[in-house]
Formats: sequence, C-alpha cells, structure tokens
Amino acid sequence: MQQPSIPIVTVERFFLNHAEKLQLQLVAGGAGISNRILEGAVHRPGLALAGSYKYFAYKRVQAIGAAEFAFLKSLGEAEASKRIGQLLKSKIPCLVFARNNTPPPRMQEMANEYRVPLFKTKMITLRFINAATIALELDFAPHVSEQGSMVDILGIGVLIRGESGVGKSEAVLALLERGYSLVSDDVTRIRLLEGRELVGTSSETTRYHMEVRGLGIINVPAVFGVAAVRPEKRLDLVVTLMEWNKMEEVDRIGIDQQTYSVLGMSLPHVSIPVRPGRDIGRLIEVAALDQKLKSLGHYAALEFNERLIERMRTPKP
Amino acid sequence: MLEHGKTENNAPATTVTREITVVNQLGIHARPAAAFVKLANKFQSDITIEKDGERINGKSIMGLLMLGAAQGSKLTVIANGRDAEAAVHEIEELFARKFDEN
Repeated sequence: MQQPSIPIVTVERFFLNHAEKLQLQLVAGGAGISNRILEGAVHRPGLALAGSYKYFAYKRVQAIGAAEFAFLKSLGEAEASKRIGQLLKSKIPCLVFARNNTPPPRMQEMANEYRVPLFKTKMITLRFINAATIALELDFAPHVSEQGSMVDILGIGVLIRGESGVGKSEAVLALLERGYSLVSDDVTRIRLLEGRELVGTSSETTRYHMEVRGLGIINVPAVFGVAAVRPEKRLDLVVTLMEWNKMEEVDRIGIDQQTYSVLGMSLPHVSIPVRPGRDIGRLIEVAALDQKLKSLGHYAALEFNERLIERMRTPKP
Repeated sequence: MLEHGKTENNAPATTVTREITVVNQLGIHARPAAAFVKLANKFQSDITIEKDGERINGKSIMGLLMLGAAQGSKLTVIANGRDAEAAVHEIEELFARKFDEN
C-alpha cells in the first residue's frame, strides 16, 4: 500500500475544480492564485472586520456575505478599505464576495497589492458556503492508489486485489458479463470522505478501459454497454485472489471476519484461493452478496454456529 | 480393508480405529471442526468418523458439523492409509487439547 498523500490545495486548484459549480469569477488579486488553502472550510470574517483577530481562522477561504458587505458599507469607503486591507494582510488564501457583490475599486487595488485573489459569485452566501464546504471536503480528502480492480456488485463496491497474472481481469470480465459494473481496472484511487467513507474511482486517463492479457485494451462500455461502468463507488469489501499453493491457511468457516486497512479504515476482507477451473467471478459475486447480508446484520457462519452449539447443549430425548 | 503393495515409502497401508470422547465444553462446533479438518487434510490417509451409526468423511467440515457431537459424545475415528497410525494419534491429541480453544 502506498503512503496516503496529504493533498496540497491551492486557490488555483480550488478555482479550477469548482469555478463552474460555485459560479466563481476572479475580480482581482490574480497574482496570489497559488496561495495555499490550509484548512478545507469556509469562514465568514465578521469579527475580523469588526477588529477582532484573536483566533481568526485565516487558513480558510473567506466569504463576505450580505451582512459583512452591509457592515463594510456602513463604515464608509475609507474605513471599509482599511478593514479589508487588514484582512488581506492576515495571510488569508482568498476572499469571496457572495450575492454578486462587487468589491469597490480600492479593495481590488489592495488585493492586487497583497496578492490575495478576490472572487465574486452569484450564489447567496449560505448556498455558497454549503457548496464550497463540500467542494473543499473533496479537495482535502486523503487519497491513496491501491493495486487492484474495482467492481460494483449490486451496490457492494468490491476491490479485487491479487498478484499480477493471478486472474483479476478475467474475474472482472466474468462479473461484467453477469451485468455488474466496472469502477476501475488494475489501479483504484481511493479517497476517504469525511473521515468515515472510502470511495473508489479510476484515473481519468484509464477510465472505462481494461487491459486484458491477449486482448489488449478494451473499451468496456463499447463492449458491455453503458451500464457496465460507473465513475465511482463506495468501497465495501476487499477480495484478495491468491495462488492456491501460496495460501497457507484457508478460512473454511468464516466466523472470524478478516479485515484490510485502507487510509486507516478497516474493510471486510476475503481471501480466495485461485485454481484452474474455479469460477472466480462467481465466488467474488457470492462474497459480495454475503457481505450484503452482513451489512443487513445476518452473519451466516456465526448464526449457524450459535444454533449448532445450542442444539448440542440441549440433551437429546 | 488393508491394502498392500501400494506404498512408496515402504510403510504399508493400515487401518487404525479408535474411540475418542469429546471433552471440550462446547462440543464440535465450527471452530473445532475447522481445526479437525485442517489436521485431517495433512494426512494422506482416508479418515472417517462414526457417531451413532452415522459415518462421515473426516475431511469435510459440513459432515463434522452434521454430527452435532456435544461434550461427552463418543466418536469412532477410522483412518486408512500409510500414515493412519500418526493421523489417529494426532487427532487424539487434538481432542485432548480441546481443539486449542481457550
């Protein structure tokens, strides 16, 4: 497993990724576009504008809403510019004016001077803050690339790991043929959302394509139909395919849930020994369905065993 | 039952039969069954378990579970093959160790 990378988020990246969705328009301060956003959140600098900088959240994207804008206006041009100047000097990454308010020319000049990008957006402040928070959450999500293909089996996102040549692609093809959809072939990008959910996707370059030994690169939606692909999926189960002879111990009962750790999250893990003649696609399918049962609270192996023990305890007539 | 002349390591195939009592508290549930099958699979000999007239293959987990062998049950272990003696010996030990359950 690779080391998870802590993403570096610059104003430029934030702008390029979300300008359209957040309706952002650069007004001034373009020279500071490579400023780093150090915290993935949005802050309304009301207190700072009023003069209080203790605990000021300068690491975040700053949003000037209707309230702040009205407050600045009430101060008069000169004082307002002074306050904004102070804000721009305090190492903030960028400043966004919501409700399509345009910062006065003097503020724009200062933004250029202090190299802090000034944006405006047509969105109302609340909607902008919500949308920008979600967008930043995505940008800041820790991510990692795992060697393995990912398939969505009836809503269960399954990462299929295994050494090169063990038959991952063949298993994936068998699953696609059964009507399940491909998320990623061979390398899966996984990111941790809100510290509780892992989401797998493929790199944009290789998306919707597979490399199969002997066939070369195939276009999955062209061969299997558009339902055979999906851009991303929550990860629920890890399946590792292993050569039969390399597996020291095969779990024969499945009472003890094995786990596999990705970005600090523990995922249910199943190891499947591979041997010619075994229908691996089918086995992965059943593993996913069993996982689905478990997510509904039914642990077949455990329940079976409890029933058996109870039966043995009851003396036979 | 004895098969002669089919050996590679000169040990003749034999049949060893032994009666073993289940001593662990919970009886043969899933974990002991898995431990048993794992051990049985180490041997080349065929291993058969008999309980109350029912015979099952000692290398089958579902078979063992089907027996429902509670604490105190008496099982007959029959091993047939070149390593039959060793197999029965180790199986006996596994029962005595209570399948290594805490």
